[in-house]
Amino acid sequence: MSGWTPGEMMAVAASHEISNDDVVVVGLGLPQVAALLAKGRHAPAATLALEIGVFGASSTTPSMGIADPRMWEGARAFGGIVDVLGYLLHGGRVTLGILGALQVDGAGSINSSLVVNEDGTVRRFRGSGGSNDLASLSGRVLVVMRHEPRKFKQRVDFLTNPGRLVDGRPRAEAGLPGHGTTAIVTDRAVLDVTEHGLALRSVHPGESVAAVAADTPLPLDTSGTHQTAAPTEDELQLVRHELDPHRWYTA
Amino acid sequence: MSKVVSLAEAVATVEDGSHVALGGFAITRCAVAAAHELIRAGKRDLQVSQVTGGLDTDLLAGGGCVRKIVSSGGSIDRFGPLYAANRRILNGEIDFEEFSSLSVTLRFHAAALGLPYLPARSMLGSDLLGNLLGRSDGVRLERDPFTGAPVAALAPLRPDVAFVHADVADEEGNAVIGGPTWNIRELAFAARRTVVFAEEVAPAGSLDPDRVTIPAPFVRSVVLTPFGAHPTAVVGRYDYDRAHLELYASAASEGGDAYARYLDEYVLGVESHERYLERVGFVP
Repeated sequence: MSGWTPGEMMAVAASHEISNDDVVVVGLGLPQVAALLAKGRHAPAATLALEIGVFGASSTTPSMGIADPRMWEGARAFGGIVDVLGYLLHGGRVTLGILGALQVDGAGSINSSLVVNEDGTVRRFRGSGGSNDLASLSGRVLVVMRHEPRKFKQRVDFLTNPGRLVDGRPRAEAGLPGHGTTAIVTDRAVLDVTEHGLALRSVHPGESVAAVAADTPLPLDTSGTHQTAAPTEDELQLVRHELDPHRWYTA
Repeated sequence: MSKVVSLAEAVATVEDGSHVALGGFAITRCAVAAAHELIRAGKRDLQVSQVTGGLDTDLLAGGGCVRKIVSSGGSIDRFGPLYAANRRILNGEIDFEEFSSLSVTLRFHAAALGLPYLPARSMLGSDLLGNLLGRSDGVRLERDPFTGAPVAALAPLRPDVAFVHADVADEEGNAVIGGPTWNIRELAFAARRTVVFAEEVAPAGSLDPDRVTIPAPFVRSVVLTPFGAHPTAVVGRYDYDRAHLELYASAASEGGDAYARYLDEYVLGVESHERYLERVGFVP
Protein backbone atom coordinates (compact mmCIF):
# COMPACT_ATOMS: atom_id res chain seq x y z
CA MET A 1 0.00 0.00 0.00
CA SER A 2 1.51 3.30 -1.03
CA GLY A 3 0.45 6.73 0.13
CA TRP A 4 -1.19 7.61 3.39
CA THR A 5 -4.30 9.28 4.75
CA PRO A 6 -4.34 12.85 6.11
CA GLY A 7 -5.02 11.35 9.54
CA GLU A 8 -1.95 9.13 9.33
CA MET A 9 0.16 12.06 8.23
CA MET A 10 -1.14 14.08 11.17
CA ALA A 11 -0.40 11.29 13.66
CA VAL A 12 3.12 10.81 12.31
CA ALA A 13 3.91 14.54 12.24
CA ALA A 14 2.56 14.92 15.79
CA SER A 15 4.66 12.00 17.00
CA HIS A 16 7.79 13.82 15.82
CA GLU A 17 7.01 16.60 18.31
CA ILE A 18 7.50 14.15 21.19
CA SER A 19 11.00 13.45 22.45
CA ASN A 20 12.49 10.78 24.64
CA ASP A 21 12.58 12.87 27.81
CA ASP A 22 9.05 14.21 27.49
CA VAL A 23 6.45 13.65 30.20
CA VAL A 24 3.18 13.75 28.28
CA VAL A 25 -0.46 13.92 29.35
CA VAL A 26 -2.68 12.79 26.50
CA GLY A 27 -6.34 12.33 25.78
CA LEU A 28 -8.20 9.85 23.67
CA GLY A 29 -7.85 9.67 19.90
CA LEU A 30 -5.20 11.01 17.60
CA PRO A 31 -3.04 12.49 20.40
CA GLN A 32 -2.81 9.04 21.96
CA VAL A 33 -1.95 7.40 18.64
CA ALA A 34 0.79 10.01 18.14
CA ALA A 35 2.18 9.48 21.64
CA LEU A 36 2.24 5.68 21.32
CA LEU A 37 3.85 6.00 17.88
CA ALA A 38 6.60 8.16 19.39
CA LYS A 39 7.12 5.61 22.17
CA GLY A 40 7.25 2.78 19.63
CA ARG A 41 9.81 4.60 17.48
CA HIS A 42 12.09 7.43 18.55
CA ALA A 43 10.95 8.16 22.13
CA PRO A 44 10.74 4.84 23.99
CA ALA A 45 11.44 6.48 27.35
CA ALA A 46 8.73 9.13 27.07
CA THR A 47 6.27 9.02 30.00
CA LEU A 48 2.55 8.97 29.24
CA ALA A 49 -0.26 9.67 31.70
CA LEU A 50 -4.05 10.09 31.55
CA GLU A 51 -5.64 12.81 33.67
CA ILE A 52 -7.87 10.45 35.66
CA GLY A 53 -4.84 8.77 37.25
CA VAL A 54 -3.39 6.28 34.78
CA PHE A 55 0.36 6.05 34.24
CA GLY A 56 1.99 4.33 31.29
CA ALA A 57 -1.06 2.85 29.59
CA SER A 58 -0.34 1.59 26.08
CA SER A 59 -3.82 0.56 24.99
CA THR A 60 -4.54 0.17 21.31
CA THR A 61 -8.03 -1.21 21.92
CA PRO A 62 -10.67 1.20 20.62
CA SER A 63 -12.09 2.94 23.69
CA MET A 64 -15.23 4.96 24.25
CA GLY A 65 -13.44 7.54 26.41
CA ILE A 66 -10.64 7.94 28.96
CA ALA A 67 -12.83 6.37 31.65
CA ASP A 68 -13.37 3.27 29.48
CA PRO A 69 -11.23 0.59 31.17
CA ARG A 70 -10.00 -0.53 27.72
CA MET A 71 -8.05 2.73 27.62
CA TRP A 72 -5.99 1.68 30.69
CA GLU A 73 -4.54 -1.51 29.22
CA GLY A 74 -0.83 -1.80 29.85
CA ALA A 75 -0.92 0.70 32.71
CA ARG A 76 2.09 0.63 35.02
CA ALA A 77 0.40 2.42 37.91
CA PHE A 78 -2.96 3.84 38.95
CA GLY A 79 -3.59 6.94 41.02
CA GLY A 80 -6.04 9.80 40.80
CA ILE A 81 -6.46 13.28 39.40
CA VAL A 82 -4.38 14.76 42.22
CA ASP A 83 -1.53 12.45 41.16
CA VAL A 84 -1.62 13.38 37.46
CA LEU A 85 -3.12 16.87 37.19
CA GLY A 86 -1.92 17.81 40.69
CA TYR A 87 1.50 16.42 41.56
CA LEU A 88 2.66 15.69 38.01
CA LEU A 89 1.16 18.67 36.16
CA HIS A 90 0.66 21.46 38.72
CA GLY A 91 3.92 20.28 40.27
CA GLY A 92 5.70 21.25 37.05
CA ARG A 93 6.73 17.80 35.83
CA VAL A 94 4.69 17.64 32.62
CA THR A 95 6.75 18.85 29.67
CA LEU A 96 4.12 18.37 26.98
CA GLY A 97 0.34 18.44 26.78
CA ILE A 98 -1.38 17.39 23.57
CA LEU A 99 -4.82 18.86 22.91
CA GLY A 100 -7.42 19.10 20.19
CA ALA A 101 -9.06 22.43 19.38
CA LEU A 102 -12.26 23.73 17.84
CA GLN A 103 -10.51 27.02 17.14
CA VAL A 104 -7.11 28.63 17.74
CA ASP A 105 -5.88 32.21 17.50
CA GLY A 106 -2.46 33.56 16.51
CA ALA A 107 -1.09 33.14 20.05
CA GLY A 108 -2.20 29.52 20.20
CA SER A 109 -5.15 30.22 22.50
CA ILE A 110 -7.58 27.32 22.28
CA ASN A 111 -11.35 27.15 22.18
CA SER A 112 -12.53 23.68 23.10
CA SER A 113 -15.89 24.72 24.55
CA LEU A 114 -18.35 26.21 22.08
CA VAL A 115 -18.83 27.66 18.63
CA VAL A 116 -20.99 30.67 17.87
CA ASN A 117 -22.95 29.94 14.69
CA GLU A 118 -23.45 32.57 12.02
CA ASP A 119 -27.02 33.15 13.23
CA GLY A 120 -25.67 33.93 16.71
CA THR A 121 -26.80 30.68 18.30
CA VAL A 122 -24.26 28.81 20.38
CA ARG A 123 -23.25 25.21 19.91
CA ARG A 124 -21.74 23.79 23.11
CA PHE A 125 -19.47 20.78 23.20
CA ARG A 126 -18.72 18.49 26.07
CA GLY A 127 -16.96 20.85 28.41
CA SER A 128 -13.29 21.42 28.91
CA GLY A 129 -12.44 18.56 31.29
CA GLY A 130 -8.73 18.76 32.09
CA SER A 131 -7.74 20.62 28.93
CA ASN A 132 -7.46 23.98 30.67
CA ASP A 133 -5.24 22.45 33.34
CA LEU A 134 -2.99 21.00 30.63
CA ALA A 135 -2.82 24.22 28.61
CA SER A 136 -2.24 26.28 31.75
CA LEU A 137 0.42 24.15 33.39
CA SER A 138 2.34 22.02 30.84
CA GLY A 139 5.84 23.06 29.79
CA ARG A 140 4.56 23.32 26.23
CA VAL A 141 1.38 22.41 24.38
CA LEU A 142 0.92 20.73 21.02
CA VAL A 143 -2.41 21.29 19.30
CA VAL A 144 -3.61 18.63 16.87
CA MET A 145 -6.53 19.64 14.65
CA ARG A 146 -7.91 19.67 11.13
CA HIS A 147 -6.77 22.50 8.92
CA GLU A 148 -9.88 24.50 8.06
CA PRO A 149 -10.08 28.28 7.62
CA ARG A 150 -12.95 28.61 10.14
CA LYS A 151 -10.76 27.14 12.87
CA PHE A 152 -8.13 29.94 12.69
CA LYS A 153 -9.64 32.97 14.40
CA GLN A 154 -8.52 36.50 15.19
CA ARG A 155 -10.35 35.95 18.48
CA VAL A 156 -11.61 32.54 19.47
CA ASP A 157 -15.34 32.36 20.31
CA PHE A 158 -14.50 31.15 23.82
CA LEU A 159 -11.03 31.20 25.34
CA THR A 160 -10.96 27.85 27.10
CA ASN A 161 -7.19 27.59 27.23
CA PRO A 162 -4.68 30.46 27.08
CA GLY A 163 -1.80 30.23 24.60
CA ARG A 164 1.50 32.10 24.58
CA LEU A 165 -0.09 35.47 25.31
CA VAL A 166 -2.95 36.57 27.55
CA ASP A 167 -4.60 39.80 26.36
CA GLY A 168 -1.51 40.40 24.22
CA ARG A 169 0.88 40.18 27.19
CA PRO A 170 3.26 37.32 28.07
CA ARG A 171 1.33 34.60 29.84
CA ALA A 172 3.63 34.73 32.88
CA GLU A 173 2.07 38.10 33.77
CA ALA A 174 -1.26 36.31 34.16
CA GLY A 175 0.40 33.90 36.58
CA LEU A 176 0.78 31.04 34.11
CA PRO A 177 3.89 28.84 33.97
CA GLY A 178 5.21 27.20 30.80
CA HIS A 179 5.11 28.40 27.21
CA GLY A 180 1.56 27.55 26.20
CA THR A 181 0.94 26.34 22.66
CA THR A 182 4.22 26.11 20.75
CA ALA A 183 3.13 24.09 17.73
CA ILE A 184 0.00 23.12 15.81
CA VAL A 185 -0.03 19.95 13.75
CA THR A 186 -2.81 19.73 11.18
CA ASP A 187 -3.65 17.31 8.40
CA ARG A 188 -1.90 19.69 5.97
CA ALA A 189 0.97 21.38 7.78
CA VAL A 190 2.97 22.02 10.93
CA LEU A 191 2.78 25.54 12.36
CA ASP A 192 5.03 27.05 15.01
CA VAL A 193 3.41 29.41 17.48
CA THR A 194 5.78 32.19 18.53
CA GLU A 195 5.24 35.31 20.64
CA HIS A 196 4.94 37.15 17.32
CA GLY A 197 2.30 34.89 15.80
CA LEU A 198 2.09 31.85 13.56
CA ALA A 199 4.91 30.60 11.36
CA LEU A 200 4.40 27.90 8.77
CA ARG A 201 7.16 25.47 9.65
CA SER A 202 6.36 22.86 7.02
CA VAL A 203 3.67 21.76 4.62
CA HIS A 204 2.93 18.07 4.25
CA PRO A 205 3.91 16.29 1.01
CA GLY A 206 1.48 17.19 -1.76
CA GLU A 207 0.54 20.56 -0.20
CA SER A 208 1.71 23.95 -1.43
CA VAL A 209 2.68 26.86 0.80
CA ALA A 210 0.24 29.11 -1.05
CA ALA A 211 -2.72 26.75 -0.63
CA VAL A 212 -2.10 26.21 3.07
CA ALA A 213 -1.53 29.92 3.67
CA ALA A 214 -4.78 30.72 1.85
CA ASP A 215 -6.63 28.44 4.28
CA THR A 216 -4.93 29.97 7.32
CA PRO A 217 -6.68 33.33 7.68
CA LEU A 218 -4.24 34.80 10.21
CA PRO A 219 -0.88 36.56 9.80
CA LEU A 220 1.49 33.76 8.81
CA ASP A 221 5.27 33.84 8.44
CA THR A 222 6.20 31.60 5.51
CA SER A 223 9.84 32.67 5.24
CA GLY A 224 11.26 29.42 6.57
CA THR A 225 8.70 26.90 5.34
CA HIS A 226 9.97 23.52 4.21
CA GLN A 227 8.28 20.22 3.47
CA THR A 228 7.25 17.87 6.28
CA ALA A 229 9.10 14.55 6.17
CA ALA A 230 6.90 11.90 4.60
CA PRO A 231 5.78 9.07 6.89
CA THR A 232 8.11 6.08 6.66
CA GLU A 233 6.82 2.63 5.84
CA ASP A 234 7.67 1.55 9.40
CA GLU A 235 5.64 4.36 10.89
CA LEU A 236 2.65 3.60 8.69
CA GLN A 237 2.82 -0.10 9.49
CA LEU A 238 2.86 0.62 13.22
CA VAL A 239 -0.13 2.96 12.97
CA ARG A 240 -2.16 0.68 10.69
CA HIS A 241 -1.49 -2.67 12.28
CA GLU A 242 -0.93 -1.90 15.96
CA LEU A 243 -1.91 1.57 17.11
CA ASP A 244 -5.13 2.25 15.21
CA PRO A 245 -6.02 -1.09 13.62
CA HIS A 246 -9.72 -0.26 13.41
CA ARG A 247 -8.91 3.10 11.77
CA TRP A 248 -10.99 5.06 14.27
CA TYR A 249 -8.70 8.07 14.25
CA THR A 250 -6.46 7.96 11.20
CA ALA A 251 -8.80 6.82 8.42
CA MET B 1 -20.97 -1.47 64.37
CA SER B 2 -22.54 -2.18 61.02
CA LYS B 3 -23.19 0.81 58.76
CA VAL B 4 -25.17 -1.21 56.26
CA VAL B 5 -28.49 0.40 55.32
CA SER B 6 -30.96 -0.07 52.48
CA LEU B 7 -30.91 1.99 49.29
CA ALA B 8 -34.19 3.66 50.27
CA GLU B 9 -32.86 4.50 53.75
CA ALA B 10 -29.68 6.03 52.32
CA VAL B 11 -31.57 8.17 49.83
CA ALA B 12 -34.21 9.23 52.38
CA THR B 13 -31.52 11.21 54.22
CA VAL B 14 -31.06 13.50 51.18
CA GLU B 15 -33.23 16.57 51.63
CA ASP B 16 -34.50 18.69 48.77
CA GLY B 17 -31.89 21.35 48.01
CA SER B 18 -28.97 19.20 49.19
CA HIS B 19 -25.55 19.28 47.58
CA VAL B 20 -24.76 15.81 46.25
CA ALA B 21 -21.29 14.84 44.98
CA LEU B 22 -21.03 11.89 42.61
CA GLY B 23 -17.99 9.65 42.26
CA GLY B 24 -18.63 8.39 38.72
CA PHE B 25 -16.91 9.58 35.57
CA ALA B 26 -18.75 9.55 32.22
CA ILE B 27 -19.60 5.83 31.80
CA THR B 28 -17.61 4.33 34.65
CA ARG B 29 -18.60 3.79 38.30
CA CYS B 30 -21.68 5.99 38.13
CA ALA B 31 -24.06 5.89 41.11
CA VAL B 32 -26.95 4.81 38.90
CA ALA B 33 -28.92 2.86 41.53
CA ALA B 34 -28.75 5.93 43.79
CA ALA B 35 -29.79 8.27 40.97
CA HIS B 36 -32.78 6.06 40.18
CA GLU B 37 -33.85 6.07 43.84
CA LEU B 38 -33.46 9.87 44.11
CA ILE B 39 -35.69 10.26 41.05
CA ARG B 40 -38.27 7.80 42.43
CA ALA B 41 -38.25 9.68 45.74
CA GLY B 42 -38.99 12.92 43.86
CA LYS B 43 -36.02 14.87 45.20
CA ARG B 44 -35.81 18.44 43.95
CA ASP B 45 -33.36 21.35 43.67
CA LEU B 46 -30.22 19.30 44.20
CA GLN B 47 -26.77 20.70 43.49
CA VAL B 48 -24.75 17.99 41.77
CA SER B 49 -20.95 18.16 41.78
CA GLN B 50 -18.88 15.74 39.74
CA VAL B 51 -15.47 16.20 38.16
CA THR B 52 -16.71 15.05 34.75
CA GLY B 53 -20.44 14.57 34.56
CA GLY B 54 -21.66 11.07 33.78
CA LEU B 55 -24.81 9.09 33.24
CA ASP B 56 -25.90 9.58 36.87
CA THR B 57 -25.83 13.37 36.51
CA ASP B 58 -27.77 13.17 33.26
CA LEU B 59 -30.42 10.91 34.82
CA LEU B 60 -30.83 13.24 37.80
CA ALA B 61 -31.06 16.26 35.52
CA GLY B 62 -33.52 14.55 33.20
CA GLY B 63 -35.52 13.31 36.19
CA GLY B 64 -36.08 16.90 37.33
CA CYS B 65 -34.00 16.62 40.52
CA VAL B 66 -31.28 19.19 39.75
CA ARG B 67 -31.01 22.96 40.18
CA LYS B 68 -27.26 23.39 39.79
CA ILE B 69 -24.28 21.47 38.39
CA VAL B 70 -20.62 22.08 39.21
CA SER B 71 -18.26 20.12 36.94
CA SER B 72 -15.71 20.34 34.14
CA GLY B 73 -18.40 19.31 31.67
CA GLY B 74 -19.30 15.74 30.97
CA SER B 75 -20.58 13.17 28.55
CA ILE B 76 -21.50 9.55 28.17
CA ASP B 77 -18.32 9.27 26.14
CA ARG B 78 -18.83 8.32 22.52
CA PHE B 79 -22.46 7.46 23.22
CA GLY B 80 -23.14 11.18 23.32
CA PRO B 81 -23.19 14.38 25.38
CA LEU B 82 -25.24 14.79 28.57
CA TYR B 83 -28.36 15.41 26.51
CA ALA B 84 -30.83 15.83 29.36
CA ALA B 85 -28.55 18.03 31.48
CA ASN B 86 -27.49 20.18 28.53
CA ARG B 87 -31.10 20.75 27.51
CA ARG B 88 -31.99 22.04 30.96
CA ILE B 89 -28.82 24.14 31.15
CA LEU B 90 -29.63 25.76 27.80
CA ASN B 91 -33.22 26.56 28.77
CA GLY B 92 -32.16 28.00 32.11
CA GLU B 93 -33.62 25.37 34.43
CA ILE B 94 -30.18 24.31 35.64
CA ASP B 95 -27.39 26.66 36.64
CA PHE B 96 -24.04 25.31 35.40
CA GLU B 97 -20.66 26.33 36.76
CA GLU B 98 -17.80 24.97 34.66
CA PHE B 99 -14.44 24.60 36.41
CA SER B 100 -11.37 22.74 35.13
CA SER B 101 -10.97 19.11 36.26
CA LEU B 102 -8.15 19.96 38.63
CA SER B 103 -10.05 22.95 40.05
CA VAL B 104 -13.07 20.80 40.94
CA THR B 105 -10.76 18.25 42.53
CA LEU B 106 -8.78 20.84 44.49
CA ARG B 107 -12.01 22.36 45.76
CA PHE B 108 -12.98 18.97 47.23
CA HIS B 109 -9.42 18.61 48.54
CA ALA B 110 -9.64 22.01 50.27
CA ALA B 111 -12.91 21.01 51.92
CA ALA B 112 -11.47 17.65 52.97
CA LEU B 113 -8.49 19.38 54.60
CA GLY B 114 -10.64 22.05 56.26
CA LEU B 115 -8.75 24.78 54.40
CA PRO B 116 -10.34 28.19 53.77
CA TYR B 117 -9.22 27.97 50.12
CA LEU B 118 -6.49 26.52 47.92
CA PRO B 119 -4.52 28.66 45.47
CA ALA B 120 -3.95 27.22 41.99
CA ARG B 121 -2.64 28.29 38.61
CA SER B 122 -5.40 26.64 36.60
CA MET B 123 -7.95 28.70 34.66
CA LEU B 124 -5.93 31.96 34.86
CA GLY B 125 -6.47 34.20 31.83
CA SER B 126 -9.27 31.99 30.49
CA ASP B 127 -12.94 32.60 29.75
CA LEU B 128 -13.67 29.73 32.16
CA LEU B 129 -12.40 31.94 34.99
CA GLY B 130 -13.97 35.04 33.42
CA ASN B 131 -17.38 33.36 33.43
CA LEU B 132 -17.04 32.28 37.05
CA LEU B 133 -15.74 35.49 38.62
CA GLY B 134 -18.54 37.42 40.26
CA ARG B 135 -21.05 34.69 39.43
CA SER B 136 -19.71 31.72 41.39
CA ASP B 137 -18.71 31.68 45.03
CA GLY B 138 -16.22 28.94 44.15
CA VAL B 139 -13.29 31.02 42.93
CA ARG B 140 -11.70 34.46 43.22
CA LEU B 141 -8.74 35.97 41.44
CA GLU B 142 -6.21 36.83 44.16
CA ARG B 143 -2.50 37.47 44.50
CA ASP B 144 0.13 35.22 46.00
CA PRO B 145 0.99 37.04 49.26
CA PHE B 146 4.68 36.10 48.84
CA THR B 147 5.32 36.95 45.18
CA GLY B 148 2.34 39.04 44.15
CA ALA B 149 1.63 36.70 41.23
CA PRO B 150 -2.01 36.13 40.26
CA VAL B 151 -3.56 32.91 41.59
CA ALA B 152 -7.02 31.39 41.42
CA ALA B 153 -8.24 31.10 45.04
CA LEU B 154 -10.46 28.01 45.00
CA ALA B 155 -13.14 27.83 47.68
CA PRO B 156 -13.79 24.51 49.41
CA LEU B 157 -16.53 22.42 47.83
CA ARG B 158 -18.27 20.61 50.69
CA PRO B 159 -21.09 18.31 49.63
CA ASP B 160 -23.86 17.44 52.05
CA VAL B 161 -23.60 13.90 50.80
CA ALA B 162 -21.23 11.98 48.52
CA PHE B 163 -22.37 8.91 46.59
CA VAL B 164 -19.50 6.62 45.70
CA HIS B 165 -19.63 3.26 43.95
CA ALA B 166 -17.14 0.70 45.27
CA ASP B 167 -16.14 -2.86 44.35
CA VAL B 168 -16.50 -4.08 47.89
CA ALA B 169 -16.98 -2.52 51.31
CA ASP B 170 -16.92 -4.08 54.72
CA GLU B 171 -19.75 -3.56 57.21
CA GLU B 172 -17.77 -0.80 58.95
CA GLY B 173 -17.44 1.17 55.70
CA ASN B 174 -13.89 0.43 54.53
CA ALA B 175 -14.22 0.59 50.75
CA VAL B 176 -12.13 -0.90 47.95
CA ILE B 177 -12.06 0.78 44.55
CA GLY B 178 -9.88 -0.76 41.84
CA GLY B 179 -8.25 1.09 38.95
CA PRO B 180 -7.70 4.83 38.73
CA THR B 181 -9.70 6.72 41.35
CA TRP B 182 -9.89 10.18 39.68
CA ASN B 183 -11.27 12.36 42.52
CA ILE B 184 -13.32 9.76 44.37
CA ARG B 185 -11.18 9.95 47.51
CA GLU B 186 -11.24 13.75 47.60
CA LEU B 187 -15.02 14.00 47.36
CA ALA B 188 -15.58 11.15 49.81
CA PHE B 189 -13.28 12.90 52.30
CA ALA B 190 -14.92 16.29 51.65
CA ALA B 191 -18.56 15.36 52.18
CA ARG B 192 -20.47 15.72 55.43
CA ARG B 193 -21.85 12.23 54.80
CA THR B 194 -20.40 9.67 52.43
CA VAL B 195 -22.50 6.75 51.28
CA VAL B 196 -20.71 3.82 49.67
CA PHE B 197 -22.70 1.70 47.21
CA ALA B 198 -20.93 -1.65 47.02
CA GLU B 199 -21.06 -4.58 44.65
CA GLU B 200 -20.33 -6.77 47.67
CA VAL B 201 -20.44 -6.26 51.42
CA ALA B 202 -17.84 -8.15 53.47
CA PRO B 203 -17.65 -8.85 57.21
CA ALA B 204 -16.04 -6.10 59.29
CA GLY B 205 -12.26 -6.34 59.27
CA SER B 206 -12.08 -8.94 56.52
CA LEU B 207 -10.59 -6.70 53.82
CA ASP B 208 -6.87 -6.45 53.03
CA PRO B 209 -5.94 -2.98 54.39
CA ASP B 210 -3.53 -2.55 51.45
CA ARG B 211 -6.52 -2.47 49.12
CA VAL B 212 -8.72 -0.05 51.03
CA THR B 213 -9.28 3.19 49.10
CA ILE B 214 -11.62 4.92 51.55
CA PRO B 215 -11.14 4.14 55.25
CA ALA B 216 -14.22 3.64 57.41
CA PRO B 217 -14.06 6.91 59.41
CA PHE B 218 -15.00 8.79 56.24
CA VAL B 219 -18.01 6.59 55.51
CA ARG B 220 -21.44 7.06 57.07
CA SER B 221 -23.37 4.28 55.35
CA VAL B 222 -22.88 1.24 53.17
CA VAL B 223 -25.51 0.03 50.71
CA LEU B 224 -25.33 -3.34 48.99
CA THR B 225 -26.13 -2.68 45.31
CA PRO B 226 -24.88 -5.43 43.02
CA PHE B 227 -24.66 -4.06 39.46
CA GLY B 228 -25.51 -0.70 41.02
CA ALA B 229 -23.55 1.17 38.36
CA HIS B 230 -25.30 -0.51 35.43
CA PRO B 231 -25.30 0.43 32.55
CA THR B 232 -21.93 2.05 33.35
CA ALA B 233 -18.79 0.01 33.98
CA VAL B 234 -17.15 -1.13 37.21
CA VAL B 235 -13.52 -1.91 36.57
CA GLY B 236 -12.72 -5.60 36.90
CA ARG B 237 -16.37 -6.49 37.59
CA TYR B 238 -18.45 -5.65 34.55
CA ASP B 239 -18.27 -3.68 31.35
CA TYR B 240 -20.56 -0.86 30.38
CA ASP B 241 -23.74 -2.10 28.70
CA ARG B 242 -23.37 -0.83 25.16
CA ALA B 243 -26.92 -1.69 24.07
CA HIS B 244 -28.48 -0.01 27.08
CA LEU B 245 -26.33 3.12 26.77
CA GLU B 246 -27.32 3.37 23.11
CA LEU B 247 -30.96 3.01 24.14
CA TYR B 248 -30.51 5.74 26.76
CA ALA B 249 -28.65 8.05 24.38
CA SER B 250 -31.35 7.66 21.77
CA ALA B 251 -34.14 8.52 24.25
CA ALA B 252 -32.17 11.36 25.83
CA SER B 253 -31.19 12.82 22.50
CA GLU B 254 -34.82 12.84 21.37
CA GLY B 255 -36.06 14.16 24.73
CA GLY B 256 -39.73 14.85 25.43
CA ASP B 257 -41.97 11.78 25.30
CA ALA B 258 -39.14 9.44 24.33
CA TYR B 259 -37.19 10.39 27.44
CA ALA B 260 -40.31 10.22 29.63
CA ARG B 261 -40.94 6.71 28.31
CA TYR B 262 -37.38 5.71 29.20
CA LEU B 263 -37.82 7.03 32.76
CA ASP B 264 -41.16 5.22 33.10
CA GLU B 265 -39.75 1.97 31.81
CA TYR B 266 -36.50 1.84 33.81
CA VAL B 267 -36.82 4.24 36.76
CA LEU B 268 -40.29 5.38 37.82
CA GLY B 269 -42.07 2.20 36.80
CA VAL B 270 -39.80 -0.11 38.82
CA GLU B 271 -40.01 0.08 42.58
CA SER B 272 -36.49 -1.05 43.46
CA HIS B 273 -32.99 -1.70 42.21
CA GLU B 274 -33.73 -5.44 42.15
CA ARG B 275 -36.75 -4.88 39.87
CA TYR B 276 -34.60 -2.67 37.63
CA LEU B 277 -32.06 -5.46 37.27
CA GLU B 278 -34.84 -7.85 36.28
CA ARG B 279 -36.17 -5.33 33.79
CA VAL B 280 -32.80 -4.97 32.04
CA GLY B 281 -32.43 -8.72 31.87
CA PHE B 282 -30.41 -9.91 34.85
CA VAL B 283 -31.78 -13.24 36.00
CA PRO B 284 -30.87 -13.97 39.61
